[in-house]
Amino acid sequence: MDTVLIPLFLGIALGVGLYARAIPQGDQSWWRFAAATVALAIAARLAGHSWTATLLASAAELVAVGMVWSGGTDAARAAARKYLTAVVLATLCTWAALALTGLGTLRPGAAWDKLAVALLLIGVALKLGLVPVYFWLPAVARASSAMTTALIVAVVDVGAFCELLALRETAPWIFTGFAPLWIGLGVLSLLGAALLALAQRELKPMLAFSSIDDMGYLLLGLIIGGADGMAGAWFGILGHALGKIVLFGAVGAAEWHLGRVVTLDDRGLSTPLPMASATFMLGALGFIGIPPTLGFIGHWRLYLAGAELGGPLLLTVLYASSAMALLCYVRVIHRVWLGPAAAGPAVGTGGQPLPRLAAAVLLVFAVAPVLFGLAPNRLRPTLEPHPHVAELTGPLVANPLGGVK
Amino acid sequence: MTSTTLPILLLLGGFVLQLLLARWLTPVGKGVLATAVVFASFLASLTLVPASMAGVAAEAMLLPGWDGPFSLALRVDGLGVLFMVMGTGIGAAILLFSVRYMEHEEQGTTRFYAIMLVFIAGLLLLAGAADMLGAYLAWEVIGLCSYSLVGFWYKQKAATDGARKVLVITHLAGYGFLVGLVLVYARAGTLAWTDPAVASAFTSGVAALFIVAAMAKSVMFPLHTWIPEAMNAPTPVSALLHSACYVKAGVYLIARMYVVGGGQWHEAMGTPLLAVGCVTILVGVIFAMAQTDLKRLLAFHTVSQLGYIVVGLALGTDLGLAAGLFYCLSHALFKGTLFMCAGAIQHATGTRDLRDLGGLASAMPGTAKVWIIAAASIAGVPLTNGFVAKWLLFSAALDKGLLVVVLVGWIGSILTAFSFLKATVNAFYGVPSKALLGRPVHEASPSMLAGMGSMAGLCLLFGVAPQLLMLPIVAPAVRSLGFDWAVEMSWLGILTDRGTIAVTVGGVVVLASAMLGLLVYRLAQAPAPGLVSVYSGGESLPAGDRPGAVDFAEMAETAFHPVYSLDPDPGYLRIWRALTRVAGAAQTAAGAVLEDRPLLPIGLVAIAALAGVWLV
Repeated sequence: MDTVLIPLFLGIALGVGLYARAIPQGDQSWWRFAAATVALAIAARLAGHSWTATLLASAAELVAVGMVWSGGTDAARAAARKYLTAVVLATLCTWAALALTGLGTLRPGAAWDKLAVALLLIGVALKLGLVPVYFWLPAVARASSAMTTALIVAVVDVGAFCELLALRETAPWIFTGFAPLWIGLGVLSLLGAALLALAQRELKPMLAFSSIDDMGYLLLGLIIGGADGMAGAWFGILGHALGKIVLFGAVGAAEWHLGRVVTLDDRGLSTPLPMASATFMLGALGFIGIPPTLGFIGHWRLYLAGAELGGPLLLTVLYASSAMALLCYVRVIHRVWLGPAAAGPAVGTGGQPLPRLAAAVLLVFAVAPVLFGLAPNRLRPTLEPHPHVAELTGPLVANPLGGVK
Repeated sequence: MTSTTLPILLLLGGFVLQLLLARWLTPVGKGVLATAVVFASFLASLTLVPASMAGVAAEAMLLPGWDGPFSLALRVDGLGVLFMVMGTGIGAAILLFSVRYMEHEEQGTTRFYAIMLVFIAGLLLLAGAADMLGAYLAWEVIGLCSYSLVGFWYKQKAATDGARKVLVITHLAGYGFLVGLVLVYARAGTLAWTDPAVASAFTSGVAALFIVAAMAKSVMFPLHTWIPEAMNAPTPVSALLHSACYVKAGVYLIARMYVVGGGQWHEAMGTPLLAVGCVTILVGVIFAMAQTDLKRLLAFHTVSQLGYIVVGLALGTDLGLAAGLFYCLSHALFKGTLFMCAGAIQHATGTRDLRDLGGLASAMPGTAKVWIIAAASIAGVPLTNGFVAKWLLFSAALDKGLLVVVLVGWIGSILTAFSFLKATVNAFYGVPSKALLGRPVHEASPSMLAGMGSMAGLCLLFGVAPQLLMLPIVAPAVRSLGFDWAVEMSWLGILTDRGTIAVTVGGVVVLASAMLGLLVYRLAQAPAPGLVSVYSGGESLPAGDRPGAVDFAEMAETAFHPVYSLDPDPGYLRIWRALTRVAGAAQTAAGAVLEDRPLLPIGLVAIAALAGVWLV
């Protein structure tokens, strides 16, 4: 059983549930879709690396589309359609790829293996919203409540990424044999998304682009593999999940206070919302990878992966992306949160203080990455080899597509 | 718990206590608690001195099995002890000063003291870290604490702008440290400072990355522009930031690099670093001369003084290292004192603008005396530690035949003296400005005076008897870096081979002369002090008049006009604007092509993926 991700998803579910009770994220249907999404994601983790898990994870993605749809607005329905397009195509591509490779337990013969990798590349890019097929994620972030996007990023995407981690163990050839393609995808995402994040004026799409940027980093750890690469990807994805809950949660609190979307034109929200402000800052610093947060434990290893994969050139790319991410978050912190509050009355239903329950949830999720950053070993997965890895160590046998098992 | 980890654990314990007792303690109580904790940590740091004098590096685990194969381990050698003693000693004095300074803050005092304690603990961890990863962790903890403290008054735009600049400049440059250590680990598979494998992986490129990170922390030109903006922090923060805990982190890193492969980096990077140090000395002091804000003036002097320290380290000789490290300690003392004096002035008058000050010596005699001692020290007046530091530095440069360095240092010293003469006259002498008329100006409280007075006293003590600091603290630090101790000393003071001056004997003679003069002055029943004409180098000024802060600033700006164009900030701003323009253009294009027509990017990716797998 996955002793880290399942408790993490349960914790996220509890946290988001409490937060949503204090700051409504949607109607009854939203609650049903949200609960079903998390439940299916947890069930997928319980099923391990198998076809059942793949089916359950895909079901979680489809239900998450419903969560977006339940927003009820035209923008929400349009975003849901985009998300559905991505999910359906991604599911078809990854299923086909997994079928060709027997869930990663075999390598098909020439041509078929290449096709499998191409399909997997397309599927992964669509699932995780990597550049250039990121179209659904900013749209979802703009049109949905904060915690809807947070759940998609922190549970659905994290689950999908962890499936990739399992595949990296069972079928390393998919990544090592085609490393330039994966590196290209990662670099495109981390540079492109960091640049696009800088161009956003609304905070939620900015956070969405920052997620894409982070996924680019995590891909590098996955590609290099080994103890450090996998640990980098693993700690990175955990920090990603915790960080995104905090960041979206704090922005959601600001939206609740203002009664409208939060943009770079807002000022001094730390005065009415000190806790949301403090947690956003902690979350952002963790997300950027500043010690002693969990983000750092992952990020320095991802830099190591970059050095081993691409030498100084890739390190320069990573530096550029990190610098842009830092500038982006620091700009938000100093324009929107810190400094003197904007003059004039709040608009809409605004002016509401942050409910204590929501504040408590944000605090827990903001402090957790710091505590885990000081004791990361608590989050290390068990060292038992994956069953498929054990299988692969056995004698090679012929398979129907002409490859080897 | 071992004595090696005790200084850090005490500070972390104090941090926890601050949080736990926040509800019950008054601001003064929190200050007293923090001061007591840091003082205890100082005493614990002193217990490490005997081992470092014996050449033993104390080793201990702070966090065993922290992150997989990595533990947070300490290896405290002479250099580590120097920085630990400096951080806790100066920190204790500054926190003592804070007790009364911060007592009227309505909120945030728990945050203030808690972060101050972590700030100091961060420096101790940096100084004692056995490997580069632990050092980087501490490096960033210090950075975060500084960011939080500079932005302490987070509802004020000036404070948050300063904090933003601190974070952006030092963190972006700090990635050099991270990238450097990653490159070392990729090649060596270890990060321990003293591991021979690390030495072979520590190329000139890695050293350059480390130096860039150190330059930003230690305000070397052109990465120094964050420091004047950080002046909107509470004064104790400025004092700690400038004297011991922040700018000295870069100095530490440069010094620490000497333990890697016997200082092999110096061959390629020593000269560029020396050049950077020299330029920084001059740029810092010239910018300082144009300031009328007391704290900004001190901030630019920090830039200049750090240039001296880095020059000492960059010389790469036995005497150069001794000079650089003694200068580092001396600067901590006099700069911490000067900032506390500036804070006391602001606390008493509500302003730190030299144009609005004047005549404070009568209302704040204790502060004036302390200021004058520290100002004399930074200017390098004999009998102060600043003089000894400069003497050693110039001797080291002359030994290496670097007359240019001596010339730069000499010009810098003259301009420093000039600048502090202006500040001293404008703040403490003449008649009070109109802005102060009718305003009750009070002397600093006893605890504030004790905090800054103790450090000023040490400036004199280590100026007259530098051997008290040299033998137990500086010499072991120099030896721990693989250098010989080249400073000859006896109970008579430092003996150098240039004129063989015995500082202690000389100091005693001068002090005796001064006392004799004072005695004669008293016995002769000298007239009561009053306003006299000021000789300004030409025609004397009318009685009661004096060179004004603005006149002086304008004069400096006229004289050094070309230097002021060396401000790198406009360049940084242009880069930022270009970046946001590129991002905006990218968003416009991506919005039209990738977001509004999803099938287009999907098709492109499919084609690229299918083509790619066949090409790879």
